[in-house]
Amino acid sequence: MTRPTARRTAAAERRIGRLLIAMTYVAVALLVVGVVLMAAAGISPLAGGPPFDPAAVPAELAAATPAGFLWLGLLAVIATPIVRVIGAAISYGSTAEWTMVAVSVAILAVIALGVTIALAATA
Amino acid sequence: MLGGGAVAGAFGSLLGLGGGILLVPLLTLGFDLPLPQAVGVSLVSVIMTSSAAAGVYLERHVANLRLGMTLELFTAIGALVGGSIAFLLDERLLSALFAGLLGYVAFSMARARSVEPGLETPTAGEMETSREEPIASALDALSGEGYRVRNLGRGVVGSTGAGVASALFGIGGGIIKVPLMHLSMGVPLRIATATSNLMIGITAAASAVIYLVRGEIDPYVAGPTAIGVFLGASLGSRLAHRIDLRYLRLLFVVVLLYTAVQMLLRAFR
Repeated sequence: MTRPTARRTAAAERRIGRLLIAMTYVAVALLVVGVVLMAAAGISPLAGGPPFDPAAVPAELAAATPAGFLWLGLLAVIATPIVRVIGAAISYGSTAEWTMVAVSVAILAVIALGVTIALAATA
Repeated sequence: MLGGGAVAGAFGSLLGLGGGILLVPLLTLGFDLPLPQAVGVSLVSVIMTSSAAAGVYLERHVANLRLGMTLELFTAIGALVGGSIAFLLDERLLSALFAGLLGYVAFSMARARSVEPGLETPTAGEMETSREEPIASALDALSGEGYRVRNLGRGVVGSTGAGVASALFGIGGGIIKVPLMHLSMGVPLRIATATSNLMIGITAAASAVIYLVRGEIDPYVAGPTAIGVFLGASLGSRLAHRIDLRYLRLLFVVVLLYTAVQMLLRAFR
């Protein structure tokens, strides 16, 4: 790796690191709001939450229900490492490291395949 | 649930493990949750703690992003396989397998002191031998300052296994990945730990999406538990230098063995 490339890679890793930390705190904040609303509404954690329905989340958020904030927080948690891979792919693409771009795309493809298989199993 | 998550997170952070190894038994034995639901909640908690730590490791250039991403392709494949077969296995069989995992971790922790002196970087001879491998240039690209990665094949197989274990049991898989990278692949321990932490996020996310789509993540359980684990892990990392880890390790071994017996009893109930 040449020195300018190494510098760019180091800067990109710092940016990705900051993104991970920021997304984690956003996810924690959303979950905290959800848990506070749960407690305020007197909902027990063992009461059995509503099933995951992505289409219903915006309406639940607008109505300030605990489930809306909890689902958005949980989605943010799960999305954080996926966003990190996308960020890394963009960064590797900018330095023409095509092998690492291919690795990043393959990781995303495996996750997409997992979702597809799970959807097919529940259909 | 918040308190239980905090204890699991603190223990995990103090002893260099994810909280999942304690969280799943806590949710199944303590709150009588079905094992797949406990695993789904644990995966979310594991992602949250690993993301925050991985962010710091990346900022400080401790984690090896190239190596981590190469291996996490295989942990993700393993997680896809594990997440798919988890729903085909009987819950009692999964409980028995989890008991075996707890026993293995307890054994590893009990003998950790005698293993540590052997945790060394590869010798010059070993590095020379590995230079002759046909994939030498790939290994060079994955290596870092002051060390050279070797045995990529073992890393691929081990990472796939770690992914399967993560998806089946809701753990981060660091207990497999750290020794694998350090002992087999010649990565210094500090970098192996940071890189494993980075990989945990994608490993757990690959199976968490499967548990989410299959309806095995309950937001009312996952929310408080994940916050508890996050707070516990943050507290644990601040307390680490003030606590004598020898006694904590001993206590942890006892807790793990007790939990293993309880999981076995659950399996044969």
